[in-house]
Amino acid sequence: VIFHSLDFVVFFVAVVALYWSLPQRAQNILLLAASYFFYGYVHPWFLILIAASTFVDYGAARGMEMWPQHRRRFLWLSIVSNFGMLGFFKYFNFFAENVAAALAAVGLTVSEPTLRILLPVGISFYTFQAMSYTIDVYRGELHARRSLLDLAVFISFFPHLVAGPIQRASYLLPQVESTRRFSPERARSGFVLICWGFFKKLVIADNVGVIANKVFALGDPTFYILWAGVFAFAMQIYADFSAYTDIARGTSRWLGFELTENFDHPYMARSPADFWRRWNISLSSWFRDYVYIPLGGSRRGTRVWIKNVLVTFLLSGFWHGASWNYLLWGFYHGVLLVVTRGRATTSHGPWPSHAWLVVPQIAGMFVLTCIGWLLFRETELSAIVRDVQLSPFGVSEVDRQTGLYLFLLSAIYSLPLWVQSIWVELGRSAPADDAIASPSWSWPRLALQGIACGIALTAVLVFRSRTSLDFIYFQF
Amino acid sequence: VSVRSVSPPPSLPRARAAAGLALLIAITLAVPFAIPLVNRWRGEKPLPPTYLPALEGPRERGRFADVRITELRGLQPGYVVIGDSMAGTRIDERRLSELTGVSVAPLLQAGSGPAFWYLALKNWVIASGIQPRMVFVFFRDTNLTDVMFRLDEQFRWSLDLVANDTESELNAVVATRVGMLQRVHRFLDDHVGVERARLAAEPAVTMWPAELMMTSRRRRTDFLHALNARLGFDHLRRMQAADIQVTEAPGADFHEDVDRSVLPLMLRDAKAAGLTLCFVRVQRRPTANRPPPQSASLKAYVKDLREYVTARGALFHDDTGDPALTIDMYEDGDHLARHARRRYTENLYNRLRSHFQ
Repeated sequence: VIFHSLDFVVFFVAVVALYWSLPQRAQNILLLAASYFFYGYVHPWFLILIAASTFVDYGAARGMEMWPQHRRRFLWLSIVSNFGMLGFFKYFNFFAENVAAALAAVGLTVSEPTLRILLPVGISFYTFQAMSYTIDVYRGELHARRSLLDLAVFISFFPHLVAGPIQRASYLLPQVESTRRFSPERARSGFVLICWGFFKKLVIADNVGVIANKVFALGDPTFYILWAGVFAFAMQIYADFSAYTDIARGTSRWLGFELTENFDHPYMARSPADFWRRWNISLSSWFRDYVYIPLGGSRRGTRVWIKNVLVTFLLSGFWHGASWNYLLWGFYHGVLLVVTRGRATTSHGPWPSHAWLVVPQIAGMFVLTCIGWLLFRETELSAIVRDVQLSPFGVSEVDRQTGLYLFLLSAIYSLPLWVQSIWVELGRSAPADDAIASPSWSWPRLALQGIACGIALTAVLVFRSRTSLDFIYFQF
Repeated sequence: VSVRSVSPPPSLPRARAAAGLALLIAITLAVPFAIPLVNRWRGEKPLPPTYLPALEGPRERGRFADVRITELRGLQPGYVVIGDSMAGTRIDERRLSELTGVSVAPLLQAGSGPAFWYLALKNWVIASGIQPRMVFVFFRDTNLTDVMFRLDEQFRWSLDLVANDTESELNAVVATRVGMLQRVHRFLDDHVGVERARLAAEPAVTMWPAELMMTSRRRRTDFLHALNARLGFDHLRRMQAADIQVTEAPGADFHEDVDRSVLPLMLRDAKAAGLTLCFVRVQRRPTANRPPPQSASLKAYVKDLREYVTARGALFHDDTGDPALTIDMYEDGDHLARHARRRYTENLYNRLRSHFQ
């Protein structure tokens, strides 16, 4: 089931209605059944994988506590099984193709075995989430759960199952285990988040996505057209992914859960380090805690720190997909971080004394981010080489005008995102999404929220793209 | 990296909070009902009813291409070819004309589906009164009985070229397939006037940047034409231009689908008009010079389809597995290369030689 479908609306209303009429344990059984239905709706065989991951991680964690002398072995069992599953489904073809190409380069022709099956959606998200549980148990930061049901709900919780945000066991599991009570206030803020999420997905992301797809489908882009397409993609990926997160967080609130934030107005970042504090926060903190810090972080000198940053970002790139361009994207961001020496121009502190520097810093970081998005979106390496060689000079009048037109059209569609980000950035006193879903309460404020949500719904009806696109992060 | 969460909101009296939630939802759902007021304020005329009321609300339709009828009457073709780009990239009508000694009329529309093919047969071929020896209909896999194939907003516009103002039989078939989403669309069109608002809003947004860039209306129009051409088919990467749409409906069952398709209407109308139909299932892109793999259900579907159409006096030809149709003939996706059209046409002629004579 996908969020922006009527199937989901019917499914969700039915689940919520039933859910609040049940006691806590029955609620968890319903959540598990609903999550498995949600995940296996189109391809029921996907359920085998998520169930296998759940059983293995449940057993591994229990084993660590029952036989502490073998806990390292149990940890490896969890890591190997999760990465094995991920590697098989996500990376097998990539390795097979590259090995065949390498052998062909030395004159050996092999029949290339190709796995002709669908990549199970969300596999990268739930395997990482499941592994965070076993790693935390291994580290002694969490005790192994006796209830297989609770763990299964934690791993498969449907609002964030397919595209995150990745939740830590220490954060979500206690919510699964506790008694929940319907809170109309929480549901209200969730409703506002859902409306905003649908607006971002269907009005912004899908419309600018059409522009980006048009540009990246061209065999002969020129400088201005290409960068207008990159700008459109930058807006698409942010609107799309943050929309999924908002809908996930909003629906979770209707079920009595609170998910962590995943975005904090990333295009207002003023440095690479700042950007990674704001973009896909759940994934970047996962890599920080389970890869970067165990590697030694910045504690063992500059050389090791550089290596650790690059390794972490390469892995982060590879997590996104089995393709060289994602590795290149990860490497690029690693290099950016190293070059700027990870200097944190903190986003939440007071503005710098040189206030005039803020706008150039934000603009500069946005340009650097867009260069990264070119590497991310352009899957053919030869096309990347061609794209970076494009010159702004000697471009025909039609191409210059086309580029400007596409840029302006993308800017019009994405204007609400910019307005929201600038507004939040100027009044940094409240958490980011409070600007949209503030829990503070008064009748006029409520009426205004209702009108804003109604306008969002109207915009969805009137301005939604005629081409419906999947959420981008489904492919990862 | 900080992982923050929103602190729980301060609690309110439960009844008041619940009333607030109900009010919020009510206002949200009420706002779209202002659309008709805006439509009325804009003072636009009511839109005409559509020929597919089961699927869409009133809208401004494109012109019926009656020029095709005139052309067919003038040409009096011996053979007519109906289809989408699968037919367009396969049939070399000049070569077929040379081989058969009679003229050939291609009625092709890229991005079309069975609804278009049925209406092309009914409203162009049969309406013209011509008597070709055979009418070919090209299709892929289970397309022929999937009336919803390419009836979504992105492709539906081309139906206007072939549809009369009323198409009750097509509408009845479509009605059997219409899902919940389309029903909601219909409700919104009828009660909220969404399509009317969209028709006004879409061009306004897309025209805005052009208005910022150039003041002259004529320059804007010229520029938008140039822009469409610049982003058009001729500039696409090869595989992006390919029509590689999935054409096998999962779990398709011929006997379940056929009565909810336009196939019986095509066979009935052709028979009544004294025309012979020949359905050609094209071979999809081969895999490593082997025919593309087919699921057991697809094979069963094709077998049932063949029996059904031949029992009703039509011909059926399946390209799949034909050793003459090799990978070198394919350009992108399931399309054949320009240089392969002549070869394909000659091959088809040879395979169906007895029927051509």
